Amino acid sequence: MNQSGQVASCDNPAVPIVLLLEIQQFLYREARLLDGEQYDEWLELLADDIHYWVPGVQARYRKDVEKFSAGRMAYFDDNLEYLKIRVARAKQPNAWAEDPPTRHFHLVGNIEVEITENPAEWTVHSLILNNRHRTENDEMEIKARRLDLVRRDQDGSLKLARRKVILQQTVLQSKNINTFL
Amino acid sequence: MSNLVVETTSREVPIVRTGEWVDVENGWLDRRIFWQDDIYALELERIFARCWIFVAHDSQLPEVGDFLTSTIGQDAVIVSRGEDGKIHTFLNSCSHRGNRVCFAEVGKARRFTCNFHGWSYGLDGGLKSVSRPQSYDGKSNFDKAKLGLHPARVESYKGMHFACFDPAAPSLEEYLGDFRWYLDVILDNDEGGIEFIDGNIKSHLKCNWKFPAENFVGDSYHAPWTHGSALIAMFGKAPTMRAERSYHANVNGHGWEFGLDFIGNAATLNSPQIIEYLRGQETKFAERLGKVRSRMVGSLSSANVFPNLSFLAGHNTFRTWNPKGPSETELNTWVFLNANAPQELKDEYRRGVMLTFSPAGVFEMDDGENFENCTSVNAGVVTRRQMLHVGMGLDSQIDHDELKGNVYQSQINEANQRAFYQRWADLMGAETWADVPVR
Ligand code: FES
Ligand SMILES: [Fe+2]
Repeated sequence: MNQSGQVASCDNPAVPIVLLLEIQQFLYREARLLDGEQYDEWLELLADDIHYWVPGVQARYRKDVEKFSAGRMAYFDDNLEYLKIRVARAKQPNAWAEDPPTRHFHLVGNIEVEITENPAEWTVHSLILNNRHRTENDEMEIKARRLDLVRRDQDGSLKLARRKVILQQTVLQSKNINTFL
Repeated sequence: MSNLVVETTSREVPIVRTGEWVDVENGWLDRRIFWQDDIYALELERIFARCWIFVAHDSQLPEVGDFLTSTIGQDAVIVSRGEDGKIHTFLNSCSHRGNRVCFAEVGKARRFTCNFHGWSYGLDGGLKSVSRPQSYDGKSNFDKAKLGLHPARVESYKGMHFACFDPAAPSLEEYLGDFRWYLDVILDNDEGGIEFIDGNIKSHLKCNWKFPAENFVGDSYHAPWTHGSALIAMFGKAPTMRAERSYHANVNGHGWEFGLDFIGNAATLNSPQIIEYLRGQETKFAERLGKVRSRMVGSLSSANVFPNLSFLAGHNTFRTWNPKGPSETELNTWVFLNANAPQELKDEYRRGVMLTFSPAGVFEMDDGENFENCTSVNAGVVTRRQMLHVGMGLDSQIDHDELKGNVYQSQINEANQRAFYQRWADLMGAETWADVPVR
């Protein structure tokens, strides 16, 4: 996947079921770690060269094709260092918006795995429904489409190398995003 | 505090007792101004439909036909670059049955054509053509010249375009007054001026629009406390704000709270390149702006142009707080940088602001929470009767040789917030602009 999120296309022969299941489990586990605010373990799932990108979405006319150019405003356009700063804030005891804690919910679905030119990397499509509840009646919901690049690391484990998240909302219907998508 | 303060005798002439809402002298606010429907309705009429509201920066609409859509209060508008090269702002509502005319947030167009019956408007909002024109032929009540999209006045200051729906409002120049001298700190520290980075971030907050606006006009007090988590995550401690080297300054309800530390805000962007750039320009800034103002270019600070255009020097972000109801606000955020700055800095500023002051940013994350809860608690009638204290720094006004407008010692202060609410009360209580004092 290049900067603009384009996947280098190739034929899409069936991915072995074992691999499909392994990648699914990888994403489910990731979601559970985020639900539990186990951010250090979550960071362990990321490749050192991770690009984690949630661009702002604008309503535009069809003729004016939405391009998500790399230099656009975004909610996240992060490397590992930036993600670690966000995690460091969330872990502070005086991160007021985290106490009482948010009840997180990451539902991952429509998982589709495609091979790439690199035998150790796969393109993974998924949909995500993120629901957050806090205190008595604070509820926020984000739905999004994800495009990931998942890589088999030297040590045999899977790592998330790229993530592009396209939100359904053009105007984010929540006061913050105190989670990762 | 139980008597009704808005008595609407007719739709046009509400009777207002603003003195009961805002007691600036002693530092008290009536919570009903953050909650009541009738007060909110009056704000739309007397503030948003009468003030100069920021609509676009020049760099967002570089070519003829470039447009964006925005709101002035709850009035939807189209902002476009006309054939004459000028920026036009007009209602995004068809003169025929009122349908919304433009549905894109940004784009390029030659005409804005209504989906309902095909009336078509030019880049200046004028009615250019209708479908089946023969049906109107010779009808004296059909005058194209009178059927354009209702225009606002547009005036600009150094690339910042503002629109105003009140023909009787003072010029933008008068409206901003000496605050222009402060705006130059970011708009004119370099001969190339500024440019906006492509795109924006919009989010919805369940809060009254005044809470975030007053937060930016003067509330540095909240920063070390609310944002303690981000400051510790990034620096291990909160920065020092020095009373003797920091100020509140305001003009006509516009205000800037600032230190003279030069790079305090910029330092939170996590970018050595930005600091290096600012340091490299320090002498040049001083030549253009003088020593004192040059120290404000990236300093610990925040500001608001009345009513709803906030910005942070150093972080290089502008944002508007657009009212959507007494307890609903839409935040629109942009990032800018000096047009002459090395373009590699674009990504540094953009990513730095997203890391700090976007809905997912480590600072802003904890702000929305406060604004929403300060608003929602007022559902309680007894709660609503309790006055809010806005009395810090009542005696802090000073004379300063260089700083213009009303100046107060120490950025830990509520002088600018009081000035903001004073201006609010002035406008809410005034039948016409002639009754609004210069402050
Ligand atoms: S409402 Fe626009 S043409 Fe009829
Ligand atoms: Fe804040």
